[in-house]
Amino acid sequence: MPKLKRDLTMEEQLARGPVDMPFLMLVVLLTGIGVIMVFSASYATAFYSKSSGYNPTYYFVRQALFAVAGLAVMYITSKINYQSLRWMSVFVLGISIILLVLVLPFGYGRTTVGAQRWIAIPLVGSFQPSEIAKLGVILYFSARLSKRNTEKQRRLNPRSYLSGVAGLLDRIGLLELVPYVVILGIIAFLMMKEPHMSGTILIMAGAAAVLFAAGIKLYWFIGGAAGLCGLLVLMMSGYQSKRILVWKDPWAYPKDGGYQIIQSLYAIGSGGLLGLGLGKSRQKFLYLPEPENDFIFAIVCEELGLVGAAVVLILFALLIIRGYWIAIHARDRFGALLVVGITTLLAVQVFLNIAVVTNLLPTTGISLPFFSYGGTALMIQLLEMGIVLSVSRQIPAPKQG
Amino acid sequence: MAHGKKKTTQHPDRRANRTILVRTLFLMGIFGVVAFVPLFVKLYQIQITEHDKYEQMAIDQQTRDSTVSANRGTIYDSKGTPLAISATVYNVQLSPKDVAETQESYRKKVEQAEESGKKGPDYPEPTNEFIASNLAEILGLDEADILKRLAKTGSQYEMLKWRVEQTESDAVREFITENNLQHGIYLMPTTKRYYPYNSLAAQVIGWVNYNNDGKGAYGMEAIYEEDLAGETGRVVTAKNGAGTEMLYRFEDYYDATDGNNLTLTIDATIQYFCERILEKGVETFEVQNGGFAIAMDPNTGAILAWANSPTYDLNDPWGVTDPVLSAYLEAVENDPNATEEAYLEALGKVQNQQWRNKAIVDTYEPGSTFKSMVLAAALEEGVVSESDHFYCSGSVTLAGHTIRCSKREGHGDQNLATAVGNSCNPAFIAIGKKLGAEKFYDYLEDFGMIGKTGIDMQGEADNSKGGLVWDREYFTGIYGEASLATASFGQRFKVTPIQLITGASAVINGGHLMQPYVVSDITDAEGNTIKHVEPTEVRQVISEATSERCRTILEGVVDGGTGKNARVEGYRIGGKTGSSETGEEDHTIVSFLGFAPADDPQVVILLAYDNPKPASPGSNYTSGGWYISGGNMAAIMAGELLEDILDHMGVEKSYSAQADVVVPNVSGQTLATATTQLKNANLTVRTVGDGDTVTGQIPASGASIPGGSQVVLYMGTDMPTDQVEVPNVEGKTAQAARQALESVGLYLKATGTTDYGSDTVALKQAVAAGTSVDRGTAIEVQFIDNSGGGAGWGF
Repeated sequence: MPKLKRDLTMEEQLARGPVDMPFLMLVVLLTGIGVIMVFSASYATAFYSKSSGYNPTYYFVRQALFAVAGLAVMYITSKINYQSLRWMSVFVLGISIILLVLVLPFGYGRTTVGAQRWIAIPLVGSFQPSEIAKLGVILYFSARLSKRNTEKQRRLNPRSYLSGVAGLLDRIGLLELVPYVVILGIIAFLMMKEPHMSGTILIMAGAAAVLFAAGIKLYWFIGGAAGLCGLLVLMMSGYQSKRILVWKDPWAYPKDGGYQIIQSLYAIGSGGLLGLGLGKSRQKFLYLPEPENDFIFAIVCEELGLVGAAVVLILFALLIIRGYWIAIHARDRFGALLVVGITTLLAVQVFLNIAVVTNLLPTTGISLPFFSYGGTALMIQLLEMGIVLSVSRQIPAPKQG
Repeated sequence: MAHGKKKTTQHPDRRANRTILVRTLFLMGIFGVVAFVPLFVKLYQIQITEHDKYEQMAIDQQTRDSTVSANRGTIYDSKGTPLAISATVYNVQLSPKDVAETQESYRKKVEQAEESGKKGPDYPEPTNEFIASNLAEILGLDEADILKRLAKTGSQYEMLKWRVEQTESDAVREFITENNLQHGIYLMPTTKRYYPYNSLAAQVIGWVNYNNDGKGAYGMEAIYEEDLAGETGRVVTAKNGAGTEMLYRFEDYYDATDGNNLTLTIDATIQYFCERILEKGVETFEVQNGGFAIAMDPNTGAILAWANSPTYDLNDPWGVTDPVLSAYLEAVENDPNATEEAYLEALGKVQNQQWRNKAIVDTYEPGSTFKSMVLAAALEEGVVSESDHFYCSGSVTLAGHTIRCSKREGHGDQNLATAVGNSCNPAFIAIGKKLGAEKFYDYLEDFGMIGKTGIDMQGEADNSKGGLVWDREYFTGIYGEASLATASFGQRFKVTPIQLITGASAVINGGHLMQPYVVSDITDAEGNTIKHVEPTEVRQVISEATSERCRTILEGVVDGGTGKNARVEGYRIGGKTGSSETGEEDHTIVSFLGFAPADDPQVVILLAYDNPKPASPGSNYTSGGWYISGGNMAAIMAGELLEDILDHMGVEKSYSAQADVVVPNVSGQTLATATTQLKNANLTVRTVGDGDTVTGQIPASGASIPGGSQVVLYMGTDMPTDQVEVPNVEGKTAQAARQALESVGLYLKATGTTDYGSDTVALKQAVAAGTSVDRGTAIEVQFIDNSGGGAGWGF
């Protein structure tokens, strides 16, 4: 027998509030378009490939099933009172770090793409621990930072001769950053072992967004950005420099490295204003490698033209803006930070994917949320959207009058 | 206190909330709006600004463009005889990769057969050795080379032999079917150009260079390339990244359009006559640099024939067949000091020489043939007339230089016709002077002697450039006097042969300068006329009346003048001889410009031999005893040529008193009627016996004997039936020859020159001395005037 409304606590009442309809609609719309595009982009690959049994609907059926399951997961998640995520966050983070360790000896991917990124789960499929790490970091950071101001100040014995130094460190805000830096350091270290550059970037971006919104002093971000730039310059001098050369002129390396981006540009360019029509991409016929994956947006551009691509971009932009809107209106700081983290993660992923596909940035493997083929990734994506919806439920209704 | 405490705890909280709000709004601006701007700009750039570029690049890789070759048009002569045709032949191609697969499947078949206990394949195993030895034998290739190619099993494309003839391709096809090698050896259809008459009109037709996409090289093949080639068709098929067919079919077919056919104004028969006479002259006169012969319809400018020597076989353009060139090459090859490089250089030079159409690419000093135009100009301007007299002392001193006439002792007093007939330089210097430099230069221009004729022939030289002819300013200026003098007899300026014959045509055709042309019609593959060329008159140079006077005077050149060796009994031929200086020691170009019939020219020819070899340096005679001059060499050949051409054109011979007549049948008639009949036929009568009716006649009816000859009628007396021996008359004068022949009851049928002076001797008799022939047979004897003039110009 369900409880009556009057029997509920205030918190419980709030958790039963309506989800944010615009956000939900945008998620469903993008998921739907994404699944259709996976079908269109993948059927040539599937038809010609032995691994998919020459079945043109191979990828589509899988992606559609995961999308349905993912939407269900999103719904369930949205029903959960996100406050319980506060205590769960520690475990999620802990599990994700364990998985990141386990993927190194037990995962796979080194032989196929040269990076140990996946862990196989019998019957379900495989997933990237980094996806869980993203969520873990955002959850934990949000939970911890939301209590930043109410936390009891730890005071060292003023007579200790360390107190002077510690006091200084505390005043400039370094001391409170230590746990975050340590966690990010461990995760980044583990992920660079795979190696997984793009995943690391995304986790860093998500974490940075949460830290930024939580009010960490700006100069730490300036310093962090400067440090990252230095690191990037250092990397460019190494094996990554080839990427930069390919990025500058893909046609100079048509065989080694430039092929995929050349094919992507052909696809996008062929699309023109209105595109070749849904399903009529020619580049997906074994020209563009893995068209259903990271470069699916190129096929969107080829088939739907600039108009179609712009519509998808606008949908993403609206989703992101709505996400931040939810964050601003969230009931508490934890919810706000959580949604900021998830929304920023999504935004950065969208930006980087499309920037790579259009050769605005050097190639790196970042998938397009809701579009790129990958069942577990889509489910985790929708789970995150569920969390945002859960937060949106507890937005207090505007006062009457 | 409590209030204060609350304040202290709430204040930082509100501040923190405010920070979150501001910073989230900032993130919203960045990630919700700003980040999308560069993405959209970049997309716009790729999809709109650079759309065409990327689309083209994409289509290039997505489509397979295979060509469908068009049939090259046929080249016909004016009578519809094909001179150049295309036929389908095959390239023999090898795919070592496919051969390896075929061999693999053969082995599998054998294994399967062994396992199942059945009989294996009933054809031999396609080993590399088996394939190589068979193909080498069929195609005449090196077996080791084929083996080497077969070893390249990664290759899909090895061309074994280009354009094999049908017998060979049939043999290869049979070999393929018998041994099931369809997957491995391929016959790819392509076209090959055939020239049924080999070297006929080689420089005019040109050939197709397979090393250059089968495009025309030289001649009509080159300048009408676009018309002949047609349009290659295309089949565009979509392919996927693996290079195989797309899932959905996409095919675009652009039909090949066959090339258009050309009909030339060239008449293959006349062309053959020209080439034959050229070859004959080159051999007879020991000509070192070849020559040319052009035949043209003077009334339209249509080229009837255009022959060059040396020449080559169009079916094997790289080969050298000309005897003079071959001898030169052989000499280089046998020279122990010559390197391989030197030989290749010589070969290249020789090939170039045989390909070039020297009658249009090269210029030469026209010499006395040009006097025809000087004559026409002077008559038109009225500065001379037939009654004028010219005195020739043998030389003229002009601006300190002595210009000699061809006859050192001088021609003495001559009227205009004799001066032209003698080709007298002092007389022409005088005519040129009367004309004046300005007028002279006007006529140079009007006769088309400066600049191109505009004929549709490859590589026409432009003599208005490169100092080949004076400019007006110089010619009419104070230093132009000597130029005017030399120009008057055709020296010291250069024209192309086609310029000369075109200008000369205007002299004799009523004064019309026509634009010469070679292609009369262009028709498409279905036979529809695409272009028909009408004769184009460039301008009227002289009046019809002047032209007629010129024809009469130029006929006199052949009838007793320097051109008398060109005379052909029964045809009225006009012309002008020429011996051109080249500036080189012992290097003369002898030429003859001729036209016929003289009263109504149907054909004009220009025949020239470049550099007959003197017997010794400085000699005027060749080792064969020929005097080196246009009149003694080119004219005699031109006469023979014109006779052939006129006969082919169906121009009737007209007979004068001495012309041949056909003896009528008078047997059984009375003496009176027989005598009348024979008299009417321009024959005289001698009777033997005293019967009333004619019982026999010598020569028999139907025989052709010179007019005025005597026919012997036997009146009841038996006609002698024994044969007589032909005496040797070669070297004899006409009179002596006639006497020698008549003394044994034979008739003289003289050909060649008819000016039977003491210099005219029998060159050749048609029936060899000592042969037994019937009484009354007419023996054809060719006479030649072999009198040589002194050294000099323009003869």
